[in-house]
Amino acid sequence: MAAAAPGLGLEMEETVYHVKEGAEGANLELENFCLWYGKAQALHGIGMKVQKGIVTALIGPSGCGKSTLLRSINRMNDLIDGLSVRGSIRLDGKDINAPGVDVIKLRKRMGMVFQKPNPFPMSVFENVAYPLRVDGVRDRRMLADACERALGEAALWEEVKDRLQENALGLSGGQQQRLCIARAIASDPDVLLMDEPCSALDPIATARIEELIARLRGHFTIVIVTHNMQQAARVSDNTAFMYLGRLIEYGGTNEIFVNPRLPRTSDYITGRFG
Amino acid sequence: MRTEDGKAQAPAPAPPDGRPARPGESNGAEQLPPAPAAPPAGAPRRRKMGHADFSSRGEPILWTLGGGLALGVILITGFLVMVFWNGLVTFYPGPIEVVTLKDGKLVAGEPARSEVFRPGPEVLRTLDEAARRAVAASGGYVSRTLYRIGNYDLYNEDFRWVPEFEVREVRTPPDMFFIERLEWGSFVGRIKALKRDGQVLEAGKFGLGNLRGEHAEARARWQRVRRIERTEIGEVNHYLEKERLAVRRAALAHGEGSAQHREAQAASAPRTEALKKRHAGLSAQAKAVKEVDEKVHLVLADAAGREKEIRLSEVVRFYPANSLGWGDKAGVYFSRWWEFLTEEPREANTEGGVLPAIFGTAAMTILMALAVAPFGVVTALYLREYARQGRLVSIVRISVNNLAGVPSIVYGVFGLGFFAYIVGATIDQLFYSERLPSPTFGTGGLLWSSLTLALLTVPVVIVATEEALSAVPRSAREGSLACGASKWQTIRRIVLPQAMPGIMTGLILAMARGAGEVAPLMLVGVVKLAPELPIDGFFPFIHLERSFMHLGFHIYDVGFQSRNSEAGKPMVFVTTLLLIGLIAVMNAWAICVRNRLKRKLSAGHF
Repeated sequence: MAAAAPGLGLEMEETVYHVKEGAEGANLELENFCLWYGKAQALHGIGMKVQKGIVTALIGPSGCGKSTLLRSINRMNDLIDGLSVRGSIRLDGKDINAPGVDVIKLRKRMGMVFQKPNPFPMSVFENVAYPLRVDGVRDRRMLADACERALGEAALWEEVKDRLQENALGLSGGQQQRLCIARAIASDPDVLLMDEPCSALDPIATARIEELIARLRGHFTIVIVTHNMQQAARVSDNTAFMYLGRLIEYGGTNEIFVNPRLPRTSDYITGRFG
Repeated sequence: MRTEDGKAQAPAPAPPDGRPARPGESNGAEQLPPAPAAPPAGAPRRRKMGHADFSSRGEPILWTLGGGLALGVILITGFLVMVFWNGLVTFYPGPIEVVTLKDGKLVAGEPARSEVFRPGPEVLRTLDEAARRAVAASGGYVSRTLYRIGNYDLYNEDFRWVPEFEVREVRTPPDMFFIERLEWGSFVGRIKALKRDGQVLEAGKFGLGNLRGEHAEARARWQRVRRIERTEIGEVNHYLEKERLAVRRAALAHGEGSAQHREAQAASAPRTEALKKRHAGLSAQAKAVKEVDEKVHLVLADAAGREKEIRLSEVVRFYPANSLGWGDKAGVYFSRWWEFLTEEPREANTEGGVLPAIFGTAAMTILMALAVAPFGVVTALYLREYARQGRLVSIVRISVNNLAGVPSIVYGVFGLGFFAYIVGATIDQLFYSERLPSPTFGTGGLLWSSLTLALLTVPVVIVATEEALSAVPRSAREGSLACGASKWQTIRRIVLPQAMPGIMTGLILAMARGAGEVAPLMLVGVVKLAPELPIDGFFPFIHLERSFMHLGFHIYDVGFQSRNSEAGKPMVFVTTLLLIGLIAVMNAWAICVRNRLKRKLSAGHF
């Protein structure tokens, strides 16, 4: 299949899959997913299966649609006017874009961590308790337990346990990002979506977040967007390489990095373009 | 040069081989223009460059900008200094000068101000030779002094200009008194005697201390009469009116002469009787006090010796202006301020205090803020957060902005026509029919004024709130939505708290605008003299339908509507000072609230 996409210098090619079709325990399944911002098509026929409980990295040059794809998974793109989608994203076999789906319930099953740490201007405790509060939980004990558990999982408990009532904006950047991770996992979601979670952090804070991702592996299905090739290589089990809105190559991280099948993938990974 | 610029703006052409252009290559062509490096003809070219250098290196516009700011600051400072100075010195007691004129007449008064003027030929013709020469020597200009002579009941004027050439002698006798009275303005002259129960006590022998004691007693009697007549009889009248209205309500509901009507009449009759008895008793009390009061008189005489007798209780304040020490002067000064801030106005508002106006201004501003805050915030929330951003919303937004520019009197007309005549009249029909034809809500009042001003200031709040909402970072909203919060939860828990400082700023601006607005209020409820405050001890305690006094309108009234604008002028400045002060206090309070909120939202401790 080699239809020319004029002007882009890119040939329409079928995605090269290293991961075997029908791999067990697929949590998220994308099938021929296309997305348009108004008339501009941002995603072209993405198809991939994200396995349960492992870390999947999305890599690719800026503007290739990684973040758009990530934000399609918890329907954050709904906020944008003139957006249209085709194809399907299925969470546990159910299409998330189906008419009857409750977006709020959907988002409660998916935590999200953003590029820049965005704690709310409230206390540390209230930040972590926020997802439960909006869920209607009032019980102080339950909130405290959830808060301690989430902060513990986010490797932040020891640092903030005496400062729970202080404003979260007083924490350092790295702590803020771990707080956001704690907030994202506080309501015990199935999927954790991370949009370049370390791009605003220094190397030490980045290292701690990466350790944290390694610890969370197995508990959640993690999809992480990153610009940092080494990071993708370090933290992920599977890697998807995207270019110009298309999924180019998808497979085990080792295979993608050591033995990419397409020259474009290897060019990008080795830093020859991007 | 132009071709160079054109090239610089155009995108760098891609090399023909399809490789992306490398930055170094394209920049090289732009940054090294060959032309200016070697100017062929020296002299004309260089002059041009020199000119270009001047405006590019120096900042000639800076002086204009800075000058504009400086001019603004100077104007505002000058205005504030003028208001403060005039307002602060007004209550300071001045000396009383007794001027003997060349024709032998006496003029006594407090000098208000002096100026230089040029007397006309018909004035000069009446002068003697020496005076004419003196005028000619100073270039035809003469100075004159304005005296506050008081004694309106004797002279039919409060102020008098005295030109220098008429003056033979100026003295400041220590026995001249400045006497403030309840009627006829102040009196300038001597205290001759005190008449008590028919006996005449010469002031010289009686002594100032004793006179002060008598005066305090007389004032206490006057206060007592006022309390009986205002508060106690007012209360009885209130209950009498209530009884009358109860009977009338029964008549309206069940028909004139119906069983219920007769029943209500029968029930009301004994209560009315008791109230009337109480009324008579109180009137008798007041009369008794007044009779005592009637026996104590003060005999005054002006500088020329014309006598005038008044009740001692009519004297508000008296002091020997020329024999006061610093302490006495300060005492008079502060007692005047105290009266100004805590008493009701008298003498057609040109004397006395402005307490009802302070109260009315504050009550109206607070009510307005209570009305405008939710209204404006709700509107802005819908416009910014929920409405589909399109042509219609743009039109609405532009219209809202334009509303801020509508002349305020237009709002006054709307308030009168809509609130008072339509809404108010309907309320009267439905709930206060027994009081008709006299209107309750069907005329101007505190509520309608507040709502009219709320309408006037709502664009300010909407615009400020919209800006505050749009300034809340997208990341905060997304963070909340990603946690599974609904749109409303996000707005209530994340967006609104963060926008609160901006919303408060808008509200402060709206309050400042509303508190100073006068024109629309003249149509919807402000009066020259309100008989009752909008808050009192009778249920429901806050009477939103009552008309009220307002500092802004008070300034207008005193300055332009009073008998003697010269007498009102000091009051204009004092009231202006107070209005500025009141608005400053309310704004400072609102800013404090805002800053507390801001601190809560920024980094740091709770």
